[in-house]
Amino acid sequence: MKHDESRGSTWQATDLPRRQALRRLTAAGAVVALGKWASPLAAAADTPRVGGRIRVASVASSLVDTLDPAKGALSTDYARQYMVYSGLTQFDSRLGAQPGLAEQITSDDATLWTVKLRSGVEFHDGKPLTPADVVYSLLRHKDPAVASQAFTIAQQFADVRASGPDQIQIRLTAANLDLPVILADAHFLIIKDGTTDFRTAVGTGPYRCVDFNPGVRTVGRRNPNYWKPGRPYLEEIELIGIGDESSRVDALLAGDVQLVNGVNPRSVRRIRASGDCRVHETPSGLYTDLVMRQDMIPTGNPDFVLAMKYLLDREEILRAVFLGHAVLANDQPVPPSSRYFNPQIPQRVHDPDRARFHLRRADLPSGARLAMYASPAAELSVEIAALIQDSASRVGLDLAVDRVPPDGYWSNQWRKHPLTFGNVNPRPTVDMLFSTFFKSDSPFNECGWKNARFDQLLLAARSERDDEKRKQMYWEMQAIVHDQCGLAIPAFNSILDGLDRRLKGYGSIPIGGLMGYNFAEYVWLDT
Amino acid sequence: MSPQAIPSPEPQLAAHSPETGSARRRRSRIALSAAGRVGLALVVFWMIVALLGPWIVPHRPGAVVSSEVFAPMSLRFPLGTDFLGRDMLSRILIGARYTVGLALAAALAASLAGTVLGLLVAISGRWVEEAVSRILDAIICIPSKIFALVMVAAFGSSVPLLLLTAAISYTPGAFRIARSLAVNLSVTDYVQAARVRGERRLHVACIEMLPNMIHPMLADFGLRFMFIVLLLSGLSFLGLGVQPPAADLGSLIRENISGLGEGAPAVILPAIAIATLTIGVNLMIDALPGRGRRTERGGAA
Amino acid sequence: MSGSIPSLIAKRIAAAALTLLLVSMIVFSITSLLPGDAAQAALGQNATPAALAALRAQLGLDQPAIIRYLHWLGGLLTGHPGRSLSDGLPVSVLIAKRLPESLLLAGLTTAVSVPLALALGIVAAMYRGSWLDRALTITTLSMVAVPEFLVATAGVLIFAVELHWLSALTFVLDHPTFGQLLRGYTLPVVSLCFAVTAQMERMTRAAVIDQLNQPYVEMAALKGVGLSRRVLVHALPNAVGPIANAIALSLSYLLGGAIIVETIFDYPGVARLMVDAVSNRDMPVLQACAMIFSAGYLGLVLIADVCAILSNPKLRRS
Repeated sequence: MKHDESRGSTWQATDLPRRQALRRLTAAGAVVALGKWASPLAAAADTPRVGGRIRVASVASSLVDTLDPAKGALSTDYARQYMVYSGLTQFDSRLGAQPGLAEQITSDDATLWTVKLRSGVEFHDGKPLTPADVVYSLLRHKDPAVASQAFTIAQQFADVRASGPDQIQIRLTAANLDLPVILADAHFLIIKDGTTDFRTAVGTGPYRCVDFNPGVRTVGRRNPNYWKPGRPYLEEIELIGIGDESSRVDALLAGDVQLVNGVNPRSVRRIRASGDCRVHETPSGLYTDLVMRQDMIPTGNPDFVLAMKYLLDREEILRAVFLGHAVLANDQPVPPSSRYFNPQIPQRVHDPDRARFHLRRADLPSGARLAMYASPAAELSVEIAALIQDSASRVGLDLAVDRVPPDGYWSNQWRKHPLTFGNVNPRPTVDMLFSTFFKSDSPFNECGWKNARFDQLLLAARSERDDEKRKQMYWEMQAIVHDQCGLAIPAFNSILDGLDRRLKGYGSIPIGGLMGYNFAEYVWLDT
Repeated sequence: MSPQAIPSPEPQLAAHSPETGSARRRRSRIALSAAGRVGLALVVFWMIVALLGPWIVPHRPGAVVSSEVFAPMSLRFPLGTDFLGRDMLSRILIGARYTVGLALAAALAASLAGTVLGLLVAISGRWVEEAVSRILDAIICIPSKIFALVMVAAFGSSVPLLLLTAAISYTPGAFRIARSLAVNLSVTDYVQAARVRGERRLHVACIEMLPNMIHPMLADFGLRFMFIVLLLSGLSFLGLGVQPPAADLGSLIRENISGLGEGAPAVILPAIAIATLTIGVNLMIDALPGRGRRTERGGAA
Repeated sequence: MSGSIPSLIAKRIAAAALTLLLVSMIVFSITSLLPGDAAQAALGQNATPAALAALRAQLGLDQPAIIRYLHWLGGLLTGHPGRSLSDGLPVSVLIAKRLPESLLLAGLTTAVSVPLALALGIVAAMYRGSWLDRALTITTLSMVAVPEFLVATAGVLIFAVELHWLSALTFVLDHPTFGQLLRGYTLPVVSLCFAVTAQMERMTRAAVIDQLNQPYVEMAALKGVGLSRRVLVHALPNAVGPIANAIALSLSYLLGGAIIVETIFDYPGVARLMVDAVSNRDMPVLQACAMIFSAGYLGLVLIADVCAILSNPKLRRS
């Protein structure tokens, strides 16, 4: 139906000024840092209207709500922060990096990068943006006292300093071609030099923060001096969090809110039937996976791992849990929508006989009752676990489901037992995905596997400038993960947002819901 | 949901004429009203379901048997299917077992603990009374759902833990009633007489007082059962019910709540199950003889 | 009036202080058993040992639990209930934002449910045994027998989603008009009324019937005093004790027990604050909420007992 549910790949380049988007360096050896603009917007038919007020409900809101980009951890935080701050770069619909506060980012060797700041940008209080603000915003993540969520990533900033009135130099500890994309991440949004008080926000973003009440709401009012001329469109946005999914959807259908994220596949039918609202589906790299720890018994046994992978009835999970709002996955984390996706790996299917065979070889102690730890914290993992439990009972494997509350799940359960569920948000690049969750020495290596060949390919790919060679490396890495890693990945979830039909300009940035948390600067309200 | 903690206040403040103990001893006239018979029938029905559930389920309650979620009632699935396409009849049969079993055990534990503590206080000195009362007051002060939330977060959700949590939450209420009954009884002639005879305290408590407390405590037990059923369903809303793929009746409502908009039997039927169970228990209690407080007791005295 | 009431109040306040201390100890002991702490809760999936250590030091979580408890207790006694571990705001500021909202919701619910329950209970008692009494019994039992999240959700579906008469969420407004209050608060208030009215109605009915069966009221009946006069003038004043007690217990539910309604209507009350505090392992906030609920409960029970004494000459004299 129409362009509401159209897929990310069909976007066309549109109305945004392109002249500043691209500035290819022709000098020999120079690296083109910023990619081709892929607008997250559907081909806009109407002229955006300025004015109007909307209320947006995200999935959670509590006292830990924050305006500090270093502390942001939930979609509500990211949405709030993208509303009031801008980054050096921005994601486009293919998760490429586009110029933001940085007019251009260049490097010859992918290690020493030069950032040229856009001129004439002002903070909400009128202070002009300077290199000092950028240096402060980036370097604070390295300070353990800040307790930044981006602490690990920021360790690769060897040095960040001002190199001119509108220039910053970033020296990395090792070559990384993906720096422009990394800088689009919500944690690296730019704040004012020296900011330590985050009870309110003074940023350069599309909306000024006029009210911030943790656990209750955030109100942003249109920033008339926003650095993108003509934008944003809405007069005011109120952002709230509604933890309960059915309440959130009810609020949308009742007209109390105009945009929600985290829609359960079961609510899609109801939203579509309403007439006033629609569902926006974004295929993404988001997945919920069964983590089998390689350093524990019996999950460290390769036969057990294979048995579980064959046990998984992906078709049934896709149908019953996701109601079709997902695509099949193949026990490796790169989604089919990625240009580095390896289509040559045969799809693993539900095969009880092979599962039985491998279970016998795994030689489990008789009477052992293994528990799978699932939690609402890992999206739909409780439902997936219930289906796996049933599939397992049919091949004679007694699995229990241990559902635990969402709070504390990530620190106390995830990866702490032989069988737990993980939930991995889309990452802008394959490198970030592999480095964070699959590299042998990463603190987030989910199943604790170690593969020397994989690590070696990962490092090589990071600085490989020949895209075809890079692709071959990523293909091989996907095959290795598919065959050997202790993860069963049943499906890539679609991101489902619900919105009022009068809300226009909405599109997909497949990093997360709410247009990759960036809806604020794009949407407008039709009368 | 019910007011947490204490469903019923102390049966009477001192001002209200206490039940005259000896007159009420061993009154065994069983004459259930029509409403009482309906209540009894409902309770017996659910007891039978709870007992036989696992042997009469048509499908494994965890098995996805239909590609249609929230299917309406049909010959193949008499009670429709749930949010994953599982058979609702099977799930309700098993769910009733959890709800009835858990609530029964927890109410029993709470009433027993309350009665024992009530008697203990009645025959002990002031300091014991103060200590027990303060501790139980402290428990009653903490909202039961939040208490359960913390307990589940600390110890993980399991049937024994839910049982224990519900029992702890409802012990203070049972205690208050038992204590006030015991205090009233301790000033009756025959208890005083027993004391004068030089009977030991334990004897007085068990032989003279306890039998006279059984009827009112039984009535209170029924109420407590109902409130525990409702507490459990409240907990399931907070995601703290029994472990999947099993589900108590409250969890069944909760997990299928998104089917409410389309009137799915998967959410309506478990609600009816809870309602008939709790109303049945109440009607039965109301009709019980000698339950003292909420019926026309004066006429019988 | 004799000295019994002031001395009762003094005794109760002393006992309440002790109870509150016990509550804080119980809450503290259970929460110290919770896996994880505020630092882990804040960092979530991205927690690394270095970041954890830094945040723990920042929040003072590197100190032993007992020291933190004593520190908190000392602060409370000197009027400083501490700062939230989640957002660094003083607990008093957080509570000051949330408590009025909780009280507003509880107050509105009280204003609707108490008169309703009393009226229904008295009518049921007057016509006990009649079809009206039975109908009321079944109705009130059914109200309490349906889980309140189902009542609330069904109400939202019908009156907010389908009819658009009422709001699906309850927003806090600075100066709400009557219309706005009606639109926003009707559904949560009705949901809560479902939960508390039945109990009060049943107890009122029982207490009034109890009095109607007393010899002095039966005597009045023999003298030809009409039914409504017997109920209102003779029975009701003497039934105040148990009724007040039932009301107190039901109302104490409206603060902490409102968690489900607060969640469904996204209402920023104290119960949700407390659940948040559990999730975020935010000890000072959790303790403050526990203190408020407990004090509310103890206060209500005390008021009920004072009512009982005042209404009863026998007790007043004793």
